[in-house]
Amino acid sequence: MDEKKKIILKLENICQSYVVKDGVKDAVDNVSFEIYDNEFLVLLGPGHCGKTVLMNLIAGLETPVGGKIYLDGEEIHGSDRRIGMVFQSLNLMPWRTVMANVEFGLEISGVKKDERRKVAQKYIDLVGLTGFENSYPHELSGGMKQRVGIARAYTNNPEILLMDEPFGQLDAQTRYAMEEEVLRIWEQEKRTIIFVTNNIEEAVFLADRIVLLSKCPATVKQIYDLKDLPRPRNMTDTEFLRIRSEVSENTDLAL
Amino acid sequence: MTKKNNSMLSAAEIREKQLQMLYKILPIVSVILLIGLWLLASSGGSGFPSPAEVWDKTIQLFVKPVKKLSLIGHVGVSLRRIGLALLFDWTAGIAFGVLIGWYPKAKALLGPMFNAFRAVPPLAWIPLITLWFGIGEFPKVLIVIFGSLASIVVNVQAGMSNVEKMYLDVGTVFNATPSQRLLKIAIPSALDAIFAGVRTSTSAAWMVVLAAEMLGANAGIGFLISRGMDSLDMPLVLTGMVAIGIVGAILAIVTQFAERMICPWTRRKKSF
Repeated sequence: MDEKKKIILKLENICQSYVVKDGVKDAVDNVSFEIYDNEFLVLLGPGHCGKTVLMNLIAGLETPVGGKIYLDGEEIHGSDRRIGMVFQSLNLMPWRTVMANVEFGLEISGVKKDERRKVAQKYIDLVGLTGFENSYPHELSGGMKQRVGIARAYTNNPEILLMDEPFGQLDAQTRYAMEEEVLRIWEQEKRTIIFVTNNIEEAVFLADRIVLLSKCPATVKQIYDLKDLPRPRNMTDTEFLRIRSEVSENTDLAL
Repeated sequence: MTKKNNSMLSAAEIREKQLQMLYKILPIVSVILLIGLWLLASSGGSGFPSPAEVWDKTIQLFVKPVKKLSLIGHVGVSLRRIGLALLFDWTAGIAFGVLIGWYPKAKALLGPMFNAFRAVPPLAWIPLITLWFGIGEFPKVLIVIFGSLASIVVNVQAGMSNVEKMYLDVGTVFNATPSQRLLKIAIPSALDAIFAGVRTSTSAAWMVVLAAEMLGANAGIGFLISRGMDSLDMPLVLTGMVAIGIVGAILAIVTQFAERMICPWTRRKKSF
């Protein structure tokens, strides 16, 4: 294995189920895959197939009923500072300004005010929100809020960034713009990104590799390596469209 | 196309202006209507004092104070009592609300006790409080506390037990400690509920202090009303009532203003 393919995160036989009214519901069934350092990995699957559950498990918001998660070769339990998250529902704190939201993680880590202002400003600039530091979330558009979410996750300097369907609630135009933004930010500040989506086009546009999940309970159906598809990608390119339809034919329909 | 847009915009502006005008006029109409009804009620020897009589009484209260206090002085005495009570409400009451709202075990232990306490009307405490503490200032403040504490505790408790999980998830991802979760996430997110408690406790305190003063005091706005009742001085009674209404409205405006200063992110919500 060459140096570029250093494994940073490894999921081993992950299972998750919940006790519901009429028995037990399996959400994730024996999922194993590896994520390489600095790669852009997309978890693709139909709606409600356990993608968010997998993210929550990696982030430490839930504990799996079975299986192990390794970060840098060590097993982790619960949340870890080396893993950051951009939430599906934004989760910006309405009582905090953009600056205060972005520096939240550093504040929790006990970083001094001057220092965290400096770091937060760097990432506010990176996501293109310069000038909006003192705005409150309710004054921002959907795309801008999502940029705040990305900056907040970056500010704590995580090794791995989880993005849980971050653009699901944006309109189509903003979504295309944000997809390009997230690639620009990733190329400027390389991190390992695990990006969840149910949008095949978005997956093919962004991913180094796509992990295709089945419908519920989630299992790994197939892994696509798109390293050879050159960036920047064009959504109307013949090769792009070929891969897109190949993935599409293999994707389960959400019920 | 642009021209058409422009004319449409100005039509919209006119409509908007008319609407704004209407909303400025309606409250004035409301006040005029109130005074009209008042005049109507006081005409024809009903014994109900007219606005002019109340105005004369107000002037008279400044010239010839009752018990050495002018109208302002009596309002001040009542305000001092609720001020002391609210000081307790907003410290101990908020702390207790946070405790039972945030820690389910504390709620299971102390909740039933608190519910039994708040089911008793504050005036029912008057005999016992008078027996224990006599008739000084402290027992009156205590009755006001008993009458206003529940409203702040209930609001704070509700806010603290309904903290959105999504905000707490952010804390989990950043490895926040339990005290950081409480101080940096839960309490700020419950601030609007806490302020709702501040508002309702203020108005509750204002209601209770008047009742307490009417039952036994020698100063305060409630005392003025009971003095008016004893001496069949209805203009004095009504003057007291008008003063209560005005002070109550001012208190509501002040707490609302404080909320806007302290929680600027809630400005988007229109509140009245």
